[in-house]
Amino acid sequence: MKPVSLEELFVGTPLEKEVTFSAPWEARAFAMAVRLSESDICTWDEFRHHLIAEIGKADKVRAHGWVEDGDGYYTYFLRALENLLREKNIVDASALEMKMREISEAGHDDHEH
Amino acid sequence: MSGNHVTIPTGAALRVKALETILEEKGLINSAALDSVVDMYETKVGPRNGARVVAKAWTDPAFRKRLLENATAAVAELGYGGPEGGHLVAVENTPKVHNLVVCTLCSCYPWPVLGLPPVWYKSFAYRSRAVRDPRGVLKEFGVEIPEKVEVRVWDSSAEQRYIVIPQRPAGTERMSEEQLAELVTRDSMVGVALVKART
Repeated sequence: MKPVSLEELFVGTPLEKEVTFSAPWEARAFAMAVRLSESDICTWDEFRHHLIAEIGKADKVRAHGWVEDGDGYYTYFLRALENLLREKNIVDASALEMKMREISEAGHDDHEH
Repeated sequence: MSGNHVTIPTGAALRVKALETILEEKGLINSAALDSVVDMYETKVGPRNGARVVAKAWTDPAFRKRLLENATAAVAELGYGGPEGGHLVAVENTPKVHNLVVCTLCSCYPWPVLGLPPVWYKSFAYRSRAVRDPRGVLKEFGVEIPEKVEVRVWDSSAEQRYIVIPQRPAGTERMSEEQLAELVTRDSMVGVALVKART
């Protein structure tokens, strides 16, 4: 594979133009992890272990040249957050699926009105 | 973030919205608190904080000493602290040593003084090569470190996060602390750039 050079990632993003989050959901996911780690629910270190695991998985795939570098970080971040909440028995996969359907359907209903 | 959104979230945005809704229903988070976290990292906390720390270290020898001894306490004097800044370590560049900071496993970074890390810091390319080939990595950033200068690489963790105190450029002797802070870049505080005096 052709590795992405640091220059490609680096050049063209002067500090003042660099955005902290490239989509609102990234910011929400980040903020949720921060708030949860400030509460009794988890420590930042616990979250970090899940994050390291997700990034590690992606690194392995990337080392084989199957994934592009430079984005995807918040995808791993979100997976880590979901894994943490599942491990803590706070949000399981089916509850999440159900809520997603609910939000999606409510959105479509609104549109028909 | 509430209001009359007509866009129906899909993909990751939908997952996040669902998570947030569930956590809010359980009373574990509230949207306003999330707004304030986002606002803080988008507008308030950033590398300008670190630049002020560096400029003060350049102009105030007693502060520099305190910073090198206990960076967490020293930056708290300027009002900087909070999550992910608990164990801050300041490492100083000298004519003999150049410091470079990485987090090989994920993205640990000294948030209170530098804000959130840039994309390249989180990239596989940087994380996988900074320890193995720091001089090569620095060259890609346009920084040539002479052979006689030792390059030290610091791998960040949840316990230890680093800020590099770059070398003060020559010709800045008459500049004020505020003017000096203007010269300090984020990249110089991670160790992938040098501070240059503006001509």
